[in-house]
Amino acid sequence: MSNELKPISVIAVIVLILLAPTIRDALREEAATYVSDSESSHDGLPESWNNSQVMCVLFPTDSPHSNFNSGVTMIEADGSTYGVNTEFNGTGACVGGFTGYTEGMPFLLDATNATSGDLDVGYDVGDWGPYVHTIGGLNANNLTGNFSGAYWELLHNGEYSMVGIGDLIMSEADVILWRIGTW
Amino acid sequence: MYDFHNIALTPTQSLLLNVAILSVIVFAVLRSERRLDGSNPLLMLAILAIFGISGRILLEPLPNFQPVTVIVIMAGVYYGAPRAVALAGIIALTTNFAVMGHGPWTLFQVLGWGLVGVSGAYFSDYILKEGQLMLNRLAALAIISGFVFNWIVSLSILLKTDVSMLAPYLINGLLFDLYHAAGNLIFVAWLATPLSEIMTKHLDSSSPKAVSEPVSSTL
Repeated sequence: MSNELKPISVIAVIVLILLAPTIRDALREEAATYVSDSESSHDGLPESWNNSQVMCVLFPTDSPHSNFNSGVTMIEADGSTYGVNTEFNGTGACVGGFTGYTEGMPFLLDATNATSGDLDVGYDVGDWGPYVHTIGGLNANNLTGNFSGAYWELLHNGEYSMVGIGDLIMSEADVILWRIGTW
Repeated sequence: MYDFHNIALTPTQSLLLNVAILSVIVFAVLRSERRLDGSNPLLMLAILAIFGISGRILLEPLPNFQPVTVIVIMAGVYYGAPRAVALAGIIALTTNFAVMGHGPWTLFQVLGWGLVGVSGAYFSDYILKEGQLMLNRLAALAIISGFVFNWIVSLSILLKTDVSMLAPYLINGLLFDLYHAAGNLIFVAWLATPLSEIMTKHLDSSSPKAVSEPVSSTL
């Protein structure tokens, strides 16, 4: 009886490896339905974006973006400027009006592309997926100050994202926010 | 001077290298065990710790594929809950400090593997019948442990987010739970029998559990 365990274990692993992409996609879809849509993450954004996906990038006070240094500039998906919110906590830009994205990385690239180069993204691809080091010309690795190191921190609907942008599952009306975090 | 340490390896090459190193360690440890006189359960626990630590570190490129869970279960079965929990703690702390990264999740891993060890001890009479290892029962416990351990460790995200994130996080992680369960099945199928032979030799002499040789006292 127990002698059968060896072939069974090998077959189980092979089947799992073959089915892994299918299982992963199915689980992602299932998990996406549980991601709660936080209303408050849309606070301060144009009301017309309430049902759309938004990407915001906030720059630190010491290293503001040359084009977005007063308030937060609201940019539509087609690249046109909606307006500037000076009441926002911080300076930077939000790009909104997107729908239908389910994965973080394509959304990051498309949303930042809409700003005609102002928010260009630089990232490395490592064992754990893409690692974003630069947004809008600001490389977090080059920042110095009263901290050991800095990185682009990812927030998903106002919460720290548990996964990197490469593994992020999105649902409609999600707000992705990048800001500099330090350790 | 040539810098021989500066050879870049592809992930597959470094994995093969790690498996080769692990094989050397396992072989050397098994050979050294042969020289031990008589029963020495504590030294056996040290050997299991070496095996668990090197296995977890060297197999790190494969997601969730490591021998620790099966080793801790077997430690529970053969040596009881307290030693299995201690083994779980030593392996989790050492590997996380050395390579994998130490943080609040280490505590959850110690708790998870500790519980796995306790369950091994609890089911020890069921898994070990008259000194004979019931491989299929061990395999069943190892598969269940793969899921339970991962879920316990997943609870560590509650330190950073609220409960609403738990469901999508667990669902997303199911594939990794399956990896862990399948890995455990592999380790039970291929390693449990040789490991149990050594562990049987190093049982506590006072242990009321598991008799190393079947007793034929009935007439």
